[in-house]
Amino acid sequence: MRRCLNAMKLLGARAAPIAALLAIWQLAVSLRLVNADFLPSPYAISVAGVDLVRGGELWSNLGLTLLASFGGLALALLIGVPAGMLMAKSRVADSVLGPLVKATYSLPKTALIPLFFLWFGIGATTDMVAVMLACLLPLLVYAHHGVQAVPRVLVWSAECMGTPPARIFYAIELPASLAAILTGLRIALGFSFVLAISAEMIAAKSGIGRLMVEYGENGSYDYMFAAVSAIVIVAFAADRGLIALTAHALRWQEPHHSAGAA
Amino acid sequence: MVPAVKISVEAVTKTFGTKDAVTALAGVDLKVSAGEFVSIVGPSGCGKSTLLYMLGGFLPPSGGKLLVGGNPVRKPGVDRGIVFQEYALFPWLTVYENIAYGLRMLKRPPEQIKATVQRYIDVIGLGGFEQRFPRELSGGMKQRVALARTFVYEPEILLLDEPFGALDAQTREIMQDELLRLWQSSRMTVLMVTHDVNEAVYLSDRVCVMSKRPGRIVEEFKVALDRELGRETLVLSESYSSIRNAVWLSVRHQVNAGGAAA
Repeated sequence: MRRCLNAMKLLGARAAPIAALLAIWQLAVSLRLVNADFLPSPYAISVAGVDLVRGGELWSNLGLTLLASFGGLALALLIGVPAGMLMAKSRVADSVLGPLVKATYSLPKTALIPLFFLWFGIGATTDMVAVMLACLLPLLVYAHHGVQAVPRVLVWSAECMGTPPARIFYAIELPASLAAILTGLRIALGFSFVLAISAEMIAAKSGIGRLMVEYGENGSYDYMFAAVSAIVIVAFAADRGLIALTAHALRWQEPHHSAGAA
Repeated sequence: MVPAVKISVEAVTKTFGTKDAVTALAGVDLKVSAGEFVSIVGPSGCGKSTLLYMLGGFLPPSGGKLLVGGNPVRKPGVDRGIVFQEYALFPWLTVYENIAYGLRMLKRPPEQIKATVQRYIDVIGLGGFEQRFPRELSGGMKQRVALARTFVYEPEILLLDEPFGALDAQTREIMQDELLRLWQSSRMTVLMVTHDVNEAVYLSDRVCVMSKRPGRIVEEFKVALDRELGRETLVLSESYSSIRNAVWLSVRHQVNAGGAAA
């Protein structure tokens, strides 16, 4: 009971600044301090949002955007983590992949989107490839560092108790570098939404990014903001979900190792 | 009957690096008989842990021969168990799973694993802590688990790398007696590396003193003490003091050798 009350207090404290901002925003529009044609009020946006939900327009577009972002992220996870771990283990893998990683690390991945349209056409494939490419590097780099930082006595102990090399890889080095991999995943998760929306904004038949551009071009800014809000809410929920998952997955971790999640 | 030589170290050298190579060990000779408890003491950085890691099969020697049970050491194996100062428990596994690990790798039948693990948990007095993670244990408890998980699969040789170095003085004494008890019921061959002269004399049949880097064994002391007397009587006895003093002086000479005191 007490805990529940405290949790609600904490939630209230966190939500208060956002509520205050929305109130000021609403007031500024209602008092005609700003032009409602260019900045719709929170109330108008929520009305538009309800309309988008009722019409089913939101769900179908959000579904496509999430398919691109989560699909691309999953692909990046499946490729990036083993590749990064392998780089830490094998000098050959490091000398092949290392220069590629360094060369593409600072490249803005959004710049490649037009090229992907050329190769894969307009649609989910392109969006997913763009997301995958952007998410690949943080996952790869963090997995690489994670495995490099595994204490050698852990590997030695496992070897001396008869663990075969392949098993060392997934039963010792993977859990030992899980904290680093999950940090990489959180960064990649943020990238995944940026890339999915960007790709849809550049060219798409549907998706939240497409919705935003369409309503923006029509001057229906309340609907445009409603679409933006939808993706903000989803991205926020996904991030919080990942933090909760991380806390559970790393519940065994020594306190001084745990990176303070914001 | 003369007991068989279990560990044989013949003119073993170890150098690290190629340019500006550091010689850690310069021609170490050591023989340990089956069932014997031998300690190596020496100044810090003398390469005593390196010798242990080579016997474990984690590092290759640069020269000389390392034989265990008459066979050259090539890689880690379940015939040799190792306990590290930093415990090296798998932090993502519970106490129970850490102790069961070696038996699982040996593919022992589940009922046997369960019974053996439970027996060792009782022996180390950690009943009720089976489902805890290492992070929830004190240093002494962690080291108990580390000893148990090595004893549980009954290696012929036990390698101890400053096993109680991270513990406070009182816990260290308790753990030494625990080790003695475990060892006396198993009679495995033990090679321990430590910087604690008291610990070496109290536990061992023989104490070898190592020189400063590049390390070699410079002096050996046979310890013929009646361990049935118990710690108090033993430690306060004349025979214990005289051998302890002799070893201590020998180590001190090594530390001060060459003028550059560490």
